[in-house]
Amino acid sequence: MSNEKPDWLTPETLTYLREVEYRFHVRAFGEEMARVNFLPLEQRKQYLYDILDHARRHGVKLEEPADEETA
Amino acid sequence: MISQAELDRFFERLVTTVQTQGGVCAITSGMACVQYGVASATKDCDLLCAADSAGQLLNVLRVTSLYGVGCAYRGHLTPPLDPRWLRGGWTSHFHWDLGDAAAYLDVFGVAPRASSFWITEAAGTLTGMHIVAEMKRTDRPKDWPFATALGVKLLEDGDSRGWLHIFDVATLRGVFARVPLPDAQIAQRPSLALLRDGDPRLELAVFGETVFWQTLDRLRAQVYQTAVRSYFQAVKKDPQADSPDLARQHEVRVGHAERLLPPSPLRDYGLERLVAEAKAKAGGLLAAGALDWLPDATQNFVGLE
Repeated sequence: MSNEKPDWLTPETLTYLREVEYRFHVRAFGEEMARVNFLPLEQRKQYLYDILDHARRHGVKLEEPADEETA
Repeated sequence: MISQAELDRFFERLVTTVQTQGGVCAITSGMACVQYGVASATKDCDLLCAADSAGQLLNVLRVTSLYGVGCAYRGHLTPPLDPRWLRGGWTSHFHWDLGDAAAYLDVFGVAPRASSFWITEAAGTLTGMHIVAEMKRTDRPKDWPFATALGVKLLEDGDSRGWLHIFDVATLRGVFARVPLPDAQIAQRPSLALLRDGDPRLELAVFGETVFWQTLDRLRAQVYQTAVRSYFQAVKKDPQADSPDLARQHEVRVGHAERLLPPSPLRDYGLERLVAEAKAKAGGLLAAGALDWLPDATQNFVGLE
């Protein structure tokens, strides 16, 4: 794919797309995860690290990959 | 106990090591989604590896330990990490078993449902968004919002292939209000013509697409599950399969695979037959007309030999 931005991708259109995207994230993932998804990358990763480590420390058996999956 | 941050860094280093040695591989699925802005609480690492780089990856795995624990094949179902089976769409499974925790690695040679070569789409340690989104059209409904989210991200990057991945009708309509819909995307995904024309059958068509892809993925997996049975029994009975040495585990699996594991069961089965069966099966679950706007899914097996 070309790295050149198309003409239609104006700052206003990008802002609009981000709004549509945010509304979708709220519907699909819930308000909390929508907020997380719009955080800067390092903060997003830290949030996930915190919840996964917290779950492990409290004995939550995290989902293991299915052994029967071969493809 | 190992932290998630350590696990992430461990897998990223692993990929960088293989790449530094000239190997071609890239992280995909959940870990890639987090990087792309769609948080997924994933603990395992899914990796795409070029078939020709399988040996390099295996060599790196052999010498990569985690907290002093070596890498091992996970279970007896997993095919060997070998170009012959990677090219046929098989996935090899590994783990580092730390006792109270484990690191899981799944290695694909072919990106399921890819409509282009994943190697040309990779960026750094990550698989490109377009391929990750195609891989998310699985039989699990929970994966589909990730595809849609990545579709919007692609459009935000100016990549009109984003249109191919949005399976939420409200989002499709929202995006259409401002973003041009190229004919090329409609040709690849006929249901988009309904969006362009303001046709209310769009919802039915998009629902039909999701049911079709889910059915296709289920049938695809069944083909591999059937093909692996004899191999699985042989590996399970072989005490050397659980040797502490990864090289020995590999050797044992290759030996059994050469006798019992067909390299490309999906090609043997027939892609057109598979797609036709998925259509027939999905059609039985849906209202009439729901499958009238399906794409040509036989184009989504790129890389499969």
